[in-house]
Amino acid sequence: MIQSESIVSAYAPPFKIISKYFIAAMASFVILNFLLLINYSSISGHHFQPKILSINHIATLGWITMIIFGAMFQLVPVVLETKLFSEKLAEVQFWIYLPGVIGLPYCFWIFDTGINMTLSAILLNLAMFIFSFNIILTMKSVKNWNVTGWYLAAAIFYLIVTAIAGLLLAINLWTPYIKLSHLQYLNLHAHIAFIGWISMVIMGVSFKLIPMFTLSHGYTLTNAKWAFWIINFGLFGISATMLFENTAFPYYIFTGLIVLGIIFFLLQIHIIFKNRIRKKFDIGIKFSSVAYIMLGLTTVLGTFIAFVDYESIINLTLVYGYMIIFGYISMLIVGQMYKIVPFLVWYHKYSSKVGLEPVPMLKDMFNEKFAYVEFYLMLTAVFGSLYSLTFRSEIGLLISFSLMLISSIIFLFNMITIFRK
Amino acid sequence: MEDAAVITKDMKISKMLSSYPQTMEVLIKASPYFKKLENKILRKALAGRVTVEQAASIAGVDIYSLLYELNKSINNSIECKNIISEEMQNEETVKQKPGILGKIKSDKIHRLDVRPILKSGVDPFQNIMAAVKEIKDDEILLLINSFEPIPLYSVLGKKGFEHWTEKENDLFRIYFYKNKEVVQDENPSKGKTPSKEIDYEKVIELDVRELVPPEPMIKILEALSQVDENTVLLVHHHREPMMLYPKLEERGYEAVTNKIEENYFKVVITKKRNT
Repeated sequence: MIQSESIVSAYAPPFKIISKYFIAAMASFVILNFLLLINYSSISGHHFQPKILSINHIATLGWITMIIFGAMFQLVPVVLETKLFSEKLAEVQFWIYLPGVIGLPYCFWIFDTGINMTLSAILLNLAMFIFSFNIILTMKSVKNWNVTGWYLAAAIFYLIVTAIAGLLLAINLWTPYIKLSHLQYLNLHAHIAFIGWISMVIMGVSFKLIPMFTLSHGYTLTNAKWAFWIINFGLFGISATMLFENTAFPYYIFTGLIVLGIIFFLLQIHIIFKNRIRKKFDIGIKFSSVAYIMLGLTTVLGTFIAFVDYESIINLTLVYGYMIIFGYISMLIVGQMYKIVPFLVWYHKYSSKVGLEPVPMLKDMFNEKFAYVEFYLMLTAVFGSLYSLTFRSEIGLLISFSLMLISSIIFLFNMITIFRK
Repeated sequence: MEDAAVITKDMKISKMLSSYPQTMEVLIKASPYFKKLENKILRKALAGRVTVEQAASIAGVDIYSLLYELNKSINNSIECKNIISEEMQNEETVKQKPGILGKIKSDKIHRLDVRPILKSGVDPFQNIMAAVKEIKDDEILLLINSFEPIPLYSVLGKKGFEHWTEKENDLFRIYFYKNKEVVQDENPSKGKTPSKEIDYEKVIELDVRELVPPEPMIKILEALSQVDENTVLLVHHHREPMMLYPKLEERGYEAVTNKIEENYFKVVITKKRNT
């Protein structure tokens, strides 16, 4: 009896833990949009400013990374066909991560670069190490490795690199010791975070979820494999060159490789969409497909930035960062959340009742009309913000950031509706 | 002496017919009831579950003279007689008609005449199983058939049914009823018998490859109500349904998944045995 009960819980996602991560992440999204709005007039110029750094870390650590943590705990059993090593560690990790994810942006905000920032960074590192430990031990029991597994394993590696680099940067702000430029290390930290950690997860998971949601099959994952090796090679190269001065030429080469890798990725996504059986796009897939297009546009801009003196063009890095965080990553997260969360809640609350009593369908779990309003608001806000940043229109930023805030509140509202269903 | 080819009373009719086609004639000579076995579909549906002994009982012929005739048709060995006389000693004692059948009220009896179904060339097994599902503990299923459905005895026996058969000319009346004492007695011994011995009589197929989550799960869980201990639910799936397993476990079912190719998995779902 006892044994059979453990089997029951083995592959079921740990609902409570995942919900904590998701809700904390979605709240972060609203908070960061609120902070953007009240600071709209100071979002310009160089990116190395306390408030921009603070908001940026709410986005990456609070919004994006916490969503990934929760999603990984949910998807690992499905994607890697094994069970999570420890739910307890996932819970412990959350309570260590939370003070860190509040502390670090707060320290940036008031620009307290002393011991408090370093302590926050240590907490974040600890939580990320626990996460990596948990996932690596989970991966040890994987029998059938697939491309998604490779991507997730690589992502764990880059998470650790990003975390350590971030901690070293925090210590450097406290007691300077880095001989090369702090900004060069910052560049490394940021690129490893966005391409190594976040994008590796997004890409790997995309190869599983997009076919699952659109019912696509009958294609090969050749492009996905090429993308994996090319992007990793490029990332290693870029990381290596960042440690030296005057490395313009190899830097271009490795940047070029990463761009090539992303093209392979987008090609693979295109093939998956082409082979889909479900022709109709629902709201989740709409968000996601816009996100993939934005990734393409961002890559074009990133390529351009690599070959120009980007710091001389005002707001260019801000435009770039905004495109990555809002146009590409946030759009994708919102889209995937509209697919993942209804299923998570449905599975937790209703799957045991199927066939025994009436249960709601997934589309009955949230108000799709609100989601469409959110979609168009967010789309308008993304392009409005990019336009306003490029042409330095303060009123444009005010309007765009307001729209983004409203859209994030609708998102939070819809998600809470699902959780309470 | 050459290969000792011997037909015993425990041999399956289907095996006997495929190994020694000449025995078909012997069967038909022994009883016209066996003419049905010339129909390939019926043979597959019926004979697969029937032993020579059961067949003899169905046809109302003496098992030992039938065995003798059958063995004579495949070889003329004298040994047959020895086997037959050995087996003769194991004969069962004749049963008495159970008392409850006399006492039961007529509205508690469900009648099912499967002769029209058989005439149309269809195996009435599914109809019988559907009817059995309706039978409550204090009710009786009265099955009317043109032959004695021996395989049903063991199939329904596993479900806790006793049977009593009356023969009237070409007509068989079989009463299936639940004997509470026997059901309780059977349970502890059930654990001893290996579960593999139970034959799966029915296969339900379900293709969920064109459905997006969680519809495959919904369809599968809804189909479980039709899956009893003798039924296999065969699901054609586009991936391994990891999250379905706990839900099957909850309801007392188990699954084995077989990867056929990329995006094609066969999931075999069965009801767990009480151990």
